[in-house]
Amino acid sequence: MLTVLISGLAIGMLYASAALVYNVMYSTSKVLSVTSGHLAMLGGVFGAWFVNTLQLPWGLGLLGGIAVGALFGWLTEVLAIRRVLNRGEDHLWLLSTLALATMVQQGVALWWGTEPRPFPRLFEQNFSSGVLDQKFWLPIGMTVLMAIGLELFYRRTMYGKLFMAMSEDAFAARARGVPTDRIRVMSYVLAGGLGGLAGFAAGQLTFAYFALGLTLTLNGFIALAVGGLGSNLGALIGGTALGLLSAFASYWFGGEYQQTFAVGLLMVVLLVKPAGLYGSLKVRQV
Amino acid sequence: MKFCSTKLINSSALFIGLAIMSGAVSAQTVKIGWLSSLTGPLSSAAVAENQGVQLAVEEINKAGGILGKQIQLLTRDTGGDPTKAVNFAQQLAFKDRVEFVIGPVNSGEGLATTPILARAGVPNIIIGSVDELTDATKYPRAFRAINTNVQWISTANNYALNTLKKSKVAIIGDTSGYGTSSAKTAEELLAKAGIKPVYSVLVDPNKTDLTDEMTKARAAGADVVMPWTAATGLLARILNARGGMGWNIPVVGHPAIMAPQIKKLLNQPQYWENTYAAGYVSTSYGADGKLPERTQALVDKVRPSYGGAEIDVMFWWVALGYDTVKIIEYAAKTAGSTDPAAIQKVLENTNKFEGVYATYSWSPTKRNGFPDSNMAVNTANTFKDGSFKFAPR
Repeated sequence: MLTVLISGLAIGMLYASAALVYNVMYSTSKVLSVTSGHLAMLGGVFGAWFVNTLQLPWGLGLLGGIAVGALFGWLTEVLAIRRVLNRGEDHLWLLSTLALATMVQQGVALWWGTEPRPFPRLFEQNFSSGVLDQKFWLPIGMTVLMAIGLELFYRRTMYGKLFMAMSEDAFAARARGVPTDRIRVMSYVLAGGLGGLAGFAAGQLTFAYFALGLTLTLNGFIALAVGGLGSNLGALIGGTALGLLSAFASYWFGGEYQQTFAVGLLMVVLLVKPAGLYGSLKVRQV
Repeated sequence: MKFCSTKLINSSALFIGLAIMSGAVSAQTVKIGWLSSLTGPLSSAAVAENQGVQLAVEEINKAGGILGKQIQLLTRDTGGDPTKAVNFAQQLAFKDRVEFVIGPVNSGEGLATTPILARAGVPNIIIGSVDELTDATKYPRAFRAINTNVQWISTANNYALNTLKKSKVAIIGDTSGYGTSSAKTAEELLAKAGIKPVYSVLVDPNKTDLTDEMTKARAAGADVVMPWTAATGLLARILNARGGMGWNIPVVGHPAIMAPQIKKLLNQPQYWENTYAAGYVSTSYGADGKLPERTQALVDKVRPSYGGAEIDVMFWWVALGYDTVKIIEYAAKTAGSTDPAAIQKVLENTNKFEGVYATYSWSPTKRNGFPDSNMAVNTANTFKDGSFKFAPR
């Protein structure tokens, strides 16, 4: 029973980190990029490649995973977002980010293979540790650290404040001299790095698997919608709720109901509180 | 005007000439369509089967082809997508006008393409295991070369119940179409033997930890766990959970549990012990440590393409691919033509056609050619050079 709780919490935290990645990208561009889950997939796959295949120490593997995520985040901005936002077509970014996500998924499948491959053990630990196993605690710890780090970033650093300014009103920020295009690129690179980090931390839980991206994109979105767009605390709570609910649903009713409960949760929350638990409807004074 | 008409005559002459030539060329080849999911899920099986198919085609063409005509292999990568498979099947049957179609690899795609190819009357060698893919009345020209899913499940059940003498079965399937229907079939076959499983569950193939399900199985008093899923990640996690719990009961199930990739996903190599799977006589090492003659011969032919190194895929895939082309060759040679009705007549009266993977027999009412006697049970952690050791009897 305890295992259900802990494994649900761990996978829920992975969803929460995907929601955090969505948040960072959303804050500066108002875009919900479908590539969010794939950043974590890249972190896991490349982390496994660096450490298992290239035999690098895991610290370098971690940096490598973050770097690959950051690079792909940058690529997302350049290829799928920049021109689309300039055109002003509503929601075309959904299609462009979906296209990029599909391309990277298939590319990884062709290179890495379609079977899940092992992710390295990062710390020496007995495999009979049950709920204390690092594969559960690494994603939980990492996501909490990420959320705390993001809050500090937003409140204490200049760039974080610029992000917040852009998310409140991009035109006003631009009018005050904020280089909004450059800030947007930065936010995508940061989001990419965070995604890669999350994927690396959760690698032992998920194995290095090419199809992880789409699952995380979808579940990360559910976590985001439940917790409220733009709220990091909401992302954590939404992810935890989703992970725990799926795990317990699977435990009590069987695996077939896992998706039913996950999407059911989303529908219930959206019916009761459309902006999510911690989201707020933006009221614009005219 | 004069210029135009000369050009017109010239180009139409060229066109007619090309048409005659291409018509002549196609009459001089036997076209075989090959629907293979070379990218996408189950690609490892498809890629290995492709190796066997290509090898057979090269061999036959070097020896003069079928009925004096060279084989033209039209490979179509379906990517595991039933929609693409359907489109390619239609193209192959109606536009390319192939004389035979091999595949598709995935049962999901097969369920979509088999009726189409049956409507077109094209002889189809089936290599998916789902039982509904063959039917002597609905799909008269579809002949199955691989074993059926029921054969996999009964072989495993027989081993667990009659050899290992277990009676409290725990079934773990995945939530995919294959897993759900296999778990159901497994329960039905066990019921026929008078056994009701003590625990039966369906699990998402990407579930990250199987400790809960295994704990429940243990609490229900299970003395054998039978997984029905082709997802190597899930199978590895089942073995990891069993090992982590220190629970020493046998696991008997789907052949994927013997796949070499499983070893790397295990936390400890010893978690692979006490694990058995349905396998084949043709890819099992006998008591003398040798493979059956025909398998060894094919292994030797394939070896150069591995640079002399060990074969790192399940060899039965390669053998199956090879056999599908050999079956076509045999049918055409015996019928004396590639006329679909004649091919059907030959194949449905085939008794014991000796391939590498199996010895096939079909009948006017039976379209599943793989005999029960060619099934075997292998020990999972004995993978070597593509084949396995027999499980202790």
